This record gives sequence, structure tokens and C-alpha cells, in this order.
Amino acid sequence: MIPLAYFTFLSAFLFCVGIYGALTRRNVIGILISIELILNAANINLVAFNKYLGTPDGMGQVFGLFVIAIAAAASVVGLVLIIAIYRDRKSLFTDGFTLMKE
Amino acid sequence: MSELVFYFITLCACVFAVLSVTQRDIFHCALWLAMTLLSVAGIYFYLDAAFLGVVQILVYVGGIITLFVFAIKLTSHIGDRSIRQTSKQWGLSIFITVLLLFIICRIFAQHPWAKMVVERPSTSLIQVGQSLMTNYALPFEFMSVILLAAMVGAIVIGKVKK
Repeated sequence: MIPLAYFTFLSAFLFCVGIYGALTRRNVIGILISIELILNAANINLVAFNKYLGTPDGMGQVFGLFVIAIAAAASVVGLVLIIAIYRDRKSLFTDGFTLMKE
Repeated sequence: MSELVFYFITLCACVFAVLSVTQRDIFHCALWLAMTLLSVAGIYFYLDAAFLGVVQILVYVGGIITLFVFAIKLTSHIGDRSIRQTSKQWGLSIFITVLLLFIICRIFAQHPWAKMVVERPSTSLIQVGQSLMTNYALPFEFMSVILLAAMVGAIVIGKVKK
């Protein structure tokens, strides 16, 4: 059987890849993709701990469902914002979004 | 045999995740993200969370990836291969990320539950459904309000202003 630590290592790796993507991407859609990776890393932990530590009411899986629902809502709003920004600026690169500085 | 399956899914998830943040073409990134999410669904199936795996495939791969593809196609020329897709600080970012990964893995490896392999009866779907309707009824209902708010917000923001 696989030790619990391996699942947390996998989740940590996915989380760090997501952080790297969110830090380096110039494209806003790329940043959203990285955020999806981070949310999935959190979800793997929830499900793995639910299996190994055991909760009487399946708490980990229930919260995993909530995380998926929140991620869906977040990405819908994020993508609509991206399309609204694109209509306004004709660009999606973070270097160009300096409205708050001007 | 069971270990081999786990290592295979993990390898797939890691490789696809790295590809989905490093590829130049943003459309390819979305497709690699779909493969990563499928691998994560495989992890859920491995952990006896079959319902969550099915939801992952339905909602993420079926819904969110489609939305991503739509958004990429609607914002046409940004997926151009000639445009640089990473910022200038990528070296520093790699350093910070590897440091973070090292610290997190060290903390996990030292913890008493790290070597835990105890087999417990897996949570059944009936249990999940019952706790959704009893212990977690309030967050469950609240989630529907959040989804409604996201839907209305998306329509309002996406509307073309006259």
C-alpha cells in the first residue's frame, strides 16, 4: 500500500507547478490555468486524508465537492472578466494592465 | 500491481502539469490541463472516491476546459506562437518554487502520519449523500446561492454595453 506521504508529495508538486505558472505567465488565461492546478492540488489532499485518517461522515469528499463547485464558479467569472478586458484593451498580457498606476 | 498504477498516474499528472504551464501555445496548455485533470480523476478513483472522480471528469474536463477553449478562441490572436508567454523573472520564480517544494516536502516527510498505510473502510456514496443532506446542509445550500451569483455576475459582466 502507498504511504500517505506520497499523496501529499504529489499534491505539493502540483501546487508548486501552479505557483510557478501563476508567477511567470504573461497571459491572463495562463494564470487561470495555473489556479486550476492549485485547486486540484488542494483537492487531492482532502481526498487522501479522508481515505487514510477516516472521518465518520466522509467530510473530505464532501469538501472536495464544494471545492470543485467553487472552482467552476471562479473560472466562469474569471473567463468572463478576461473577455470583458479583451474587448476593452485588445490585449491579454499582464504587462499592459497598468490602469491603477496611471 | 496496485503500486504500479499509482506511480503511473502520478508520473502522468506531474508531466502533464509541467507541460500545461510551460507550453508556448495557450491552446495546447488548455489541452494539457485537461490531461492533468484526467490524471487527478484517476487518483480519486485510486483512493476509492469514485463519485468525486466522476464529478471531476464531468465538471472540469467536460465543462471548465470547454469554457477555456471558448475563451481562447474568442480572444483570437493572443495564442500566437511568436509572442513570448513568460515574464522576465522566470529564473527567480523557479528558485522560489523549488525552495517552496523542498520546504513543504520536508515538513510532510517528518510528520508522524507520513508513513501511515492503515486500511480503513472507504467512504461510501450513501454516506456522502447523507452528510450532504444533514451535517453539511447549510454549506450545500449556500453553494447553490454562490453558483447563482456567479451565473448572474457572468451575464452582467459579459454583456456588451450600448
